[in-house]
Amino acid sequence: MTERLLAVWVEALGEESPDGSTLREHAALLDALTILCPFTESIRLGLLVLPLRGPSRFFGGEGAVLDAVRQSVRDVTGHEPLLGVADGLFCAEVAARRGLVLASGATDLFRRSLPLSVLGRKDVATTCQRLGLHTVGSFADLDAARVAERFNGHALTLHRVARGESAELDGQRDLKLARRLGQLRGEDGVGDEQLGFFGQRGAGDLRAEAAAHRVRRRLGVDAVVVAALRGGRVPEDRATLVPWGSPSSKVRDGAPWPGQMRAPSPATTLAHPVAVQLRDGEDHQIVMEPRGFLSEPPGALLFSSQLRRDVVWHAGPWPLVERWWSLNRRRAHLQVLLATGEALLLTAEASRWWLVGIYD
Amino acid sequence: MFALSAKRPTLPTDVVATLRPVALAKSRMLPLGEPWSALVPGGGLRRGSTVVVQAPPGLGGLSLALSLLTESSARGHWAGVVGVDDPGVVAIADLGVDLRRVLFVPRPRGAWAESAADLLDGVDLLIVRPPSRASHGAARRLMDRVRERGTVLIALAESGAPWPLPADLSFDITQAQWATSSRLDARYLTVRVGGRGAAVRGGEHVVVLPNRRGRCEAG
Repeated sequence: MTERLLAVWVEALGEESPDGSTLREHAALLDALTILCPFTESIRLGLLVLPLRGPSRFFGGEGAVLDAVRQSVRDVTGHEPLLGVADGLFCAEVAARRGLVLASGATDLFRRSLPLSVLGRKDVATTCQRLGLHTVGSFADLDAARVAERFNGHALTLHRVARGESAELDGQRDLKLARRLGQLRGEDGVGDEQLGFFGQRGAGDLRAEAAAHRVRRRLGVDAVVVAALRGGRVPEDRATLVPWGSPSSKVRDGAPWPGQMRAPSPATTLAHPVAVQLRDGEDHQIVMEPRGFLSEPPGALLFSSQLRRDVVWHAGPWPLVERWWSLNRRRAHLQVLLATGEALLLTAEASRWWLVGIYD
Repeated sequence: MFALSAKRPTLPTDVVATLRPVALAKSRMLPLGEPWSALVPGGGLRRGSTVVVQAPPGLGGLSLALSLLTESSARGHWAGVVGVDDPGVVAIADLGVDLRRVLFVPRPRGAWAESAADLLDGVDLLIVRPPSRASHGAARRLMDRVRERGTVLIALAESGAPWPLPADLSFDITQAQWATSSRLDARYLTVRVGGRGAAVRGGEHVVVLPNRRGRCEAG
């Protein structure tokens, strides 16, 4: 399966410079594009590709991605890039050299119309021309057995590329480039743990911090959160989720809390409880009676008019009288087990039922 | 350098039995807690590998994925959790995960794969729950990146939207049964452990997750 790729070709960076400045600029460009899309790959000096599907969903369209990439190249290198979009690395590069954005599904036609010289093998191109074959498409139409008979093994891989069975040419990638970029950055080993001494911040903490920064740059400052516990009786009260890096992220669970709901707690605690309806066997709404009992045993839970689940077991309600001076803060919790095997935590508050937790 | 040599005195077997391997900084395995360490080849998660946890919706997949973090987290490794919208913080702490070293990206919007890739460099274990069925391309790129960086990817999938590529190690929840008294007490999960490679002792195991203390134990 070939995927839609955006190839970025910066001609000025295509030639190695003796002072290594090209390599450094290429590295800077790779870093800049990795911020836009972490799956950016550097293929050769001056040529980088990124998958287009994910980023265009994120940026809101392919055009927006192309603009962002173009601007980024200008900012980092000062050069104007050629951008090309097509399926697969081979066609994406050819498209980039021509500055073409192919419509989705047009890659096959585009590839077939290309002159044979794009395959980069003079001998094959010359022989084919003698046979009256001038385009990649006409070469692709040759029977693979005849290609094998006529040319050497290398021509068979070309043939596979011409037919679209293979997405990239041998030698299209500079296999040494990744290592050279690594050396440039002084990365020798990767992923080794270096834990600090007690109480000290280790290399692991710094790496995590850098990663959190990257996500925040992508999604916004509130995107990364950290969790902590604080006092409270029920799971949804005890959980604190705060944006990473905010000063309040140093809260700790205090002393044991009287009347705390015992484990197990739901693995999902909804930040915004979902209104549900609890019905009895006759489809009447179940209400909490003033003394803390259910009006009837529950038989079904309705998430919406479409989504209805049978309740096979329940426990509770456990009333929770907090801030007794405020009548609105009477809450009761109820555990229910659905016929599907799912276990849920509900609360009754202000005479309505809410889904607050899922034991998933 | 110390070379292994035949001259090295052999240790008495009773001493050898009490020795535990030193957790080297460069260890290629991340430790697993009970009961998983007994059910998984090597007793841990190999760096660079992908683990798929699959379960019908609401039947313990999230708890299982989180329970794989506990031992590593207790030993100081960082973890990331992408795409779990409303993590149950109390349950996660009860399991034994150290919340101080977990980064959550609850709502990565359209960019779950990109956020996961961003986080990979900074954490040792990464739980990812794609919002819908993950595409083949996104899964492959993430797995390649994980292999390159030596992180462990734990992909959480629902039975209706499986992870599109084969995993190095997989946990399939086939059954979930709650034990109840006057409240929910414990859940018995039937888990099929599988994966690539001959070392995997496949088969079904029953684990209690969560138990009465919110932890995971052998059934």
